[in-house]
Amino acid sequence: MRLFWELSKLAFQRQLTYRAATLAGLATNFFFGMLRASVLIALFHGNSEIAGMTITDAITYTGLTQGTIAFLSLFSWFEVMNSVYTGAVSSDMLKPMNYFNFWLAQDTGRAFASFLLRGLTIMIAYAIFFDITTPQSMPQWLAFFMVLILAWLISFSWRFLVNLAAFWTPNALGIARLAFILSWYMSGFLFPLRFFPPWFVKLCYLTPFPYTINAVVEVYLGLVDGQALVGIILAQVAWILMLILASMIALRAGVRRLEILGG
Amino acid sequence: MPAIITVEDLNKHFKVYKHHRGILGPLRNLFSRASSLVRAVDGITFEIKSGELVGYLGPNGAGKSTTLKMLTGLLVPTSGKIIVQDQIPWKNRTNYVAEIGAVFGQRTTLWWDLPVIESLDLLQHIYKIPDDRFQQNLNEFRELLELDTFLNTPVRALSLGQRMRADICAALLHDPKLLFLDEPTIGLDVVAKERIRQFIQHINEERGITVLLTTHDLSDVEKLCKRVMIIDHGKLLYDGKLHLLQEDFGGKRQLIVDFMENYESVSVEGGTITERDGTRMTIHFSSQEITASELINQLSAHYRIRDLEVREPDIETTIRRIYEDRLLEQPE
Repeated sequence: MRLFWELSKLAFQRQLTYRAATLAGLATNFFFGMLRASVLIALFHGNSEIAGMTITDAITYTGLTQGTIAFLSLFSWFEVMNSVYTGAVSSDMLKPMNYFNFWLAQDTGRAFASFLLRGLTIMIAYAIFFDITTPQSMPQWLAFFMVLILAWLISFSWRFLVNLAAFWTPNALGIARLAFILSWYMSGFLFPLRFFPPWFVKLCYLTPFPYTINAVVEVYLGLVDGQALVGIILAQVAWILMLILASMIALRAGVRRLEILGG
Repeated sequence: MPAIITVEDLNKHFKVYKHHRGILGPLRNLFSRASSLVRAVDGITFEIKSGELVGYLGPNGAGKSTTLKMLTGLLVPTSGKIIVQDQIPWKNRTNYVAEIGAVFGQRTTLWWDLPVIESLDLLQHIYKIPDDRFQQNLNEFRELLELDTFLNTPVRALSLGQRMRADICAALLHDPKLLFLDEPTIGLDVVAKERIRQFIQHINEERGITVLLTTHDLSDVEKLCKRVMIIDHGKLLYDGKLHLLQEDFGGKRQLIVDFMENYESVSVEGGTITERDGTRMTIHFSSQEITASELINQLSAHYRIRDLEVREPDIETTIRRIYEDRLLEQPE
């Protein structure tokens, strides 16, 4: 536990040191957020509601999704892969620690820093420039944070699993990129899943992706509650357990066939 | 003394796929995957006793690092047995690595962007080292390895010698009884090498830590190890005392003669002429057969000599001879 804390703390501090990168990231996220907001406004074309979302909801949606990009490492996260390719993985294997937890701890620190620096700040900027909604009650706030944390756990265990492909092929970057792009569509990052035809949404719900961004957005906007909310949380937990189990199995197999590269 | 490492008939074979060449090569690679088997480690057997300091020697690609990776649990052998401190390295790896120390010279175990001291602190939590033990060890190693000047420097900004010292310190903080060192002096200057050698000797003698070190720097071995193992092409060629190796395969002494004039033919008894360049001649001879002064007397009785030099064989030449002439290879 102490180790977990120390590793998280270091990852957190590491994020804080990249001030220029944070500022650049923020500016980009916000700019694209505005762009996406204007596209959605145009889409509404005077309608007050589309698929149960108001125009305010839609704008808030772009803020939320832009705000979670860094928190969930939505665009790329190849750290485990890189450590396999540079051979740093062998140094980590020489240490008596759980490899999954080692990365989870670091991602905890990273995600928390991103939440503060890139999530909260974007929502504040949105609140200044746009008319956005917020959860209406304390329970809704709590549900939102719970779903958000579970979404991060899904995201992490999925990212970890994808990265493990590096144990099998010397060029897993292509696979990983494809997986990330897939997640943009299926998580409701590019557009809210409600805007897609039902067959596609059904397809999405066969994957863990809707339980990341789409779930976070719907709970924040108050589009789901009661039983549906409990269902989302249970599904999230189930996906987390499955992904962690899959990661463990893949990691075991991967380590066994590891031929450390570079001497 | 009980054996701390037992290795029996250890093998590690890698499949290497052949790549087709030319523009369509990659396409052909998709369909035909001809492979060849590389026997990186080929039937090695040895035992190391507690407290020994053993040099594991071999040219590049001989199988040294592969052996070490199997001993540290990083690689799973193709076949054979390894028992280290009553454990099988690749089974229950997490438990096993807590009991050993390992430094792979080409790579750091420290965190690239952290100051040395923070990396070491992190290791305390990873190995769950009690505070007092950690402080005690750290203080001792700081002094011996002279870490103080760069304890607060990020690892990426260290010189190679500094990084190596920090890495060796990192490998010993949890009091392992066994230390694996893979090329600990690679790329270092003479002073840095010497400092590391002294430290290795110190922990071996004072703390009784068993050390297995691979190297292709022979001066490491000469200064540190009483016992050497020589590996080439995956096979163990020699395992024994260093000075016996020198006596058995120490090659020949050399007599270099400069004659006053260019003799058409020179004959020597008890030695062999290996090189002749104008008036200069190199003669190899072995001490068991003829002494240097006998040889010189013999030559000066027949020829006029300007200058003479006797060269002793050094261990480097011995080893080179062993590699090149495959002196130690058993007939198959």
